[in-house]
Amino acid sequence: MRDYPLENRSAFSPDVAVGTGAAINLAPVPGGFVIHVLGDAKSDEAALKQVLAKIAPELGADVRKSAPNQWFWVGDAAVYSDRLTELQAGLVNQFALADQTHGRVRMRLSGASSRTVLAKGTMVDLSADLFAIGQSAMTQIGHIGAMITRIEDDSFELIVLRSFAASLWDELHHMAAEFR
Amino acid sequence: MTSFRIDGGTLIDRHDVRRFTFNGEVLSGFGGDTVASSLLANGKQLVGRSFKYHRPRGILTAGAAEPNALLTIGRDGRRDPNTRATMAELFDGLEARSQNCWPNVNFDIGAANGLLGPLLGAGFYYKTFMWPAAFWEKVYEPLIRKAAGLGRASYDPDPGYYEKCWAHCDLLVIGAGPAGLAAALTAGRAGARVIIADEGAQLGGGLIAEGSSIGSKPADAVLGDLVGELHALPNVEIKKRTTVFAAYDDQVFGAVERVQKHLPEHEINPHRAMERLWRIVARQVVLATGAEERPIVFGGNDRPGVMMAGAMRTYLNAYGVAPGKRVALFANNSQAYQTALDLEARGIEVAAIIDPRTCPNIDYDGKARLIAGAMVRDTSGRRAIKSITVRHDDGSDEVIAVDALGVSGGYSPIVHLACHRGGKPVWSDAHVGFMPPENTDGMTSCGAVAGKTGIAACFADGGTAAVKALAELGVMSEAASLPGVEQAEEKADPIQPIWRVASSKGKAFVDYQNDVAASDIMLAMREGYDHVELAKRYTTNGMATDQGKTSNVNAIGILAENKGVSPGEIGTTTFRPFYTPVSFGALVGASKGMDFQPVRKSPLHGWAARNGAKFVETGPWYRSSWFPKDGETFWRDSVDREVNTVRTKVGICDVSTLGKIEIFGADAAEYLNRVYCNAFLKLPVGKARYGIMLREDGFVYDDGTTSCLGENHYFMTTTTALAAGVLTHLEFCAQVLWPELDVRMASATDQWAQMAIAGPKSRDVLSKIIDDDISNEAFPFLAAREVSMFGGRLKGRLFRISFSGELAYEIAVPAGYGESVADAIMAVGEEFGIAPYGTEALGVMRIEKGHVTHAEINGTVTPADLGMGKMVSVNKDDFIGRVMNLREGLVDPSRPSLVGIMPKSPSDKFATGSHILNPGDDVSLANDQGYVTSMCHSPTLGHAIGLALVKNGPSRVGEEVVIWNGLAGTTVTGILCNPAFVDPENEKLHA
Amino acid sequence: MSSLVKCPHCGLRPREEFTIRGEVATPRPSAGADEATWFDHVYLRDNPRGEHREYWHHSSGCRRWLVLTRNTLTHETSDVVDASTLKTEGAQ
Repeated sequence: MRDYPLENRSAFSPDVAVGTGAAINLAPVPGGFVIHVLGDAKSDEAALKQVLAKIAPELGADVRKSAPNQWFWVGDAAVYSDRLTELQAGLVNQFALADQTHGRVRMRLSGASSRTVLAKGTMVDLSADLFAIGQSAMTQIGHIGAMITRIEDDSFELIVLRSFAASLWDELHHMAAEFR
Repeated sequence: MTSFRIDGGTLIDRHDVRRFTFNGEVLSGFGGDTVASSLLANGKQLVGRSFKYHRPRGILTAGAAEPNALLTIGRDGRRDPNTRATMAELFDGLEARSQNCWPNVNFDIGAANGLLGPLLGAGFYYKTFMWPAAFWEKVYEPLIRKAAGLGRASYDPDPGYYEKCWAHCDLLVIGAGPAGLAAALTAGRAGARVIIADEGAQLGGGLIAEGSSIGSKPADAVLGDLVGELHALPNVEIKKRTTVFAAYDDQVFGAVERVQKHLPEHEINPHRAMERLWRIVARQVVLATGAEERPIVFGGNDRPGVMMAGAMRTYLNAYGVAPGKRVALFANNSQAYQTALDLEARGIEVAAIIDPRTCPNIDYDGKARLIAGAMVRDTSGRRAIKSITVRHDDGSDEVIAVDALGVSGGYSPIVHLACHRGGKPVWSDAHVGFMPPENTDGMTSCGAVAGKTGIAACFADGGTAAVKALAELGVMSEAASLPGVEQAEEKADPIQPIWRVASSKGKAFVDYQNDVAASDIMLAMREGYDHVELAKRYTTNGMATDQGKTSNVNAIGILAENKGVSPGEIGTTTFRPFYTPVSFGALVGASKGMDFQPVRKSPLHGWAARNGAKFVETGPWYRSSWFPKDGETFWRDSVDREVNTVRTKVGICDVSTLGKIEIFGADAAEYLNRVYCNAFLKLPVGKARYGIMLREDGFVYDDGTTSCLGENHYFMTTTTALAAGVLTHLEFCAQVLWPELDVRMASATDQWAQMAIAGPKSRDVLSKIIDDDISNEAFPFLAAREVSMFGGRLKGRLFRISFSGELAYEIAVPAGYGESVADAIMAVGEEFGIAPYGTEALGVMRIEKGHVTHAEINGTVTPADLGMGKMVSVNKDDFIGRVMNLREGLVDPSRPSLVGIMPKSPSDKFATGSHILNPGDDVSLANDQGYVTSMCHSPTLGHAIGLALVKNGPSRVGEEVVIWNGLAGTTVTGILCNPAFVDPENEKLHA
Repeated sequence: MSSLVKCPHCGLRPREEFTIRGEVATPRPSAGADEATWFDHVYLRDNPRGEHREYWHHSSGCRRWLVLTRNTLTHETSDVVDASTLKTEGAQ
């Protein structure tokens, strides 16, 4: 068998420039994993974090609630298919795992104007006293569904469906243009 | 041209000279001017022509209610018609033009309409243009359309960027006059999140026009202090040039911010919005919108030079513009006397103050002659006012020469936003006006809109309103006060309502913008249209772009007076958004052109583009529809070749857009068994099954395959079109119908790049990249499982399913690797003659095979209609659609059912949507036997083929029918046949 | 322009994030129920002027089905619950 190159391609079109600066900075979060965790009706976040710490301490337990009994488990390490099978075995039926590493794209919007930019897209009130660091919301940015997570005071991570990623990138690009 | 610019003017900067053109004439004004103030300063009293009679019109107000001075500002794509000159800020290079006049504003041919006045009265559309009916489209409508309308929109695209935003606050203060400023300060000092919005370029509202001092300080210094403190509060957001135009449900307020509309083109930042549409979520609202001064309805009240008394004061004090050299005032209230004092203080002669009250209780100590118990009944002057005719209380007339007349008929609280959610304003005899509704949840009115008069009273009321609103949020606060100002003692000073000067000579206008005169309203009453909503529509009073801000209450007053009832009994018409016009640009925001809607791209988009795909929009998706090769000029050249390649060799098609759903849970099998009409309980691990979902009403909803990938783990595919709908339906079933089942679903559409590899050589191709044994024995038809690829470097999911009818597989790989895998398949397939194929070839092959899509699953078909009646389980206790599918009408054997159709003569063509008739029957829908749902040219058979739903279809195979295209008026002889044109025995699938 | 719904799982969200299905029908009958009961469930809706219970799907948020009690006259929403409670808590 010939050695065909296997490249994990980004969902962003290479011709869209990445904004950088103190006021606004938009950048993809490369690599890592996004796993959709679907718990049964009795599951809760504390139990999930506990079991994740036990079966996968190296992956961290950054879980972001997307719905009742559902989370996105996010991390920067690479998780391959076999490891996922192992993890699922460790969780038995209480938590089912659906790999979304390729289905969802992470990007980071940061800078002093990041909240102002996001207010052009989402109704969710992102003021610091109501939306603390580590908090997440599944919402719409414009017409595109996305999960917003506050990473730092002026830094947000967005998780969006891969097929919409280029469109959202483009919209954020427009929204942020006045601050570049 | 005389200059009317005098000393003073708190808003203007005389060092900042700005040139602009008005109807081509170069004029100048100052920074801080509006277009209206600079036109008045240049002596331009006549600025436009009226809508119906083309009468000369001037500037009536100094604010948002302006009915007359509507100009077209800007050019090309930046041209804004119907812009109120009173709101447009002057910038250097501004171009303004009058509207509704030809050839020019000073000489307008349409003014002849004035002579036709008797014909153009209330209801003239209904009366004048009735007969003959044939004239409507050809004569009347073009005539009316040409004559009517105000400014014209530009056909050029607006180069500006527009956007929409959300904002949140504890307290939204609408209006930044004294009441609003006090409310914002009160709440700001208490630490609340405050947004204060005002439509003006500067905060201050009524304070701006205040020439005199407040307490011991000049009014502008007081204002400066207040605004300064607000700016310093980090929890207060100030939005200038922002009109709150609507109150929506759940305390959402619509507002438009004119971010860059006041800038000359070279100063516009192309990356910043021209206008911003705000949706403000406010926990509490203080309404401090003020009150609108009402005109008085008297003969010739529309002549240029007639202006609201309060507007005169604003032009004088804020802009340093004199309304005239010799001015008269006509007012039924005492506030107007302040205008007289201010005019005299600036050396402008006030010729007379005409007050219809016989004993006005005032302490006016100016020089003007006070004529009590009198009214203005007429004015004269061709393009501007020259004199007024006063009717004294003894019945005698007196003509007084003036070049401007200030009018004040009382004040109408600006209650719109308090009424947008359905509240009705309440009439107050004391205030002679409609007050805000009493119960406005979450909204507190204060200042002039609540009937207060005077700066001090309004300020105090604003503070009190904020304290009350914040208390609702559990926040304690202390009302802000104006230091050193005593609130003046209220003294009895009743306004005497005048709805119409009965002795008026000539037309007395109620609605300036729509040219509705008092006589029109009275005519409407005589003709039976005396209900306020009917009178509005019959006369068009209040229906222009100003929505009757200066006219509605007078119209209601006239109706009331003539019916002998209180205006409260007449009531108002319904208040609806928008308070003032909002540009389409702001409403559209960024969603235009290529950004009209989001685009979804398949993970194989780049691969398809590199292979020359022509894309087609399918909802938000871009799908590859065919892949032209050199020399192929017509789409069918490519499609026919692609079909032939798949049928004889092998092809690859991107099917990533199909909906994919991962299903987990201990009850997943039971759940699938209930949502599909066919059996799913015993689907073994490693197998796929075709399934049909019904709606609860028994008709087919969607079809697709579901594979069992492990114990309690399934993978469902849906059609592209219904991917979102099916997931939503499945969630409804799981959450609402059977929450007791343990079933969990995740959309996985985007996780996988999925390719169909179809054709007799497909196994040969895939064997080169898949490590596992995929022989017919090891991987038979409907096998489905994870496979190792590229020597263990990648895992994929392989399904042996076929839409084309050939030996075929679908391989799903993690989306990021999609392009690499597709490239590899193309490379290893080269020796077998592989070619990419698109949705068009896919569509042809599924018709050749007799597979259905949503062309057939159109909401009116049952599984039996599609020839799949046997799939519907008779053993299952329950599934969605089970009971209703057995309804009498749905089991009728003569229902239109799926059948193939082809032309009797192979060279004949027919169209989708054509109806099927029996030979010899009249060509009529009365004889309808069914219709063609899909058709294509079959390269495999060499002629047109189709699928159709025909009464008793399957039992009529071989019958000759007529295919009738009712749109084209053509008929073709067709033959009904088996819908599986290719491989009816399914030998290829199992090869 | 917009209105807001207080999703029990996500908090206040704009209407645009939701998909509306219509009135809460009678409970889904058993397969053995008579035809009239099934017709009521599938087709019969009240369309009242006043309080109305409706299914709303938070399609761009948590993707849960909700039941809103909404006044069709004033648009006031007096209650929002997760639709699963209709059955699990017998709130029909």
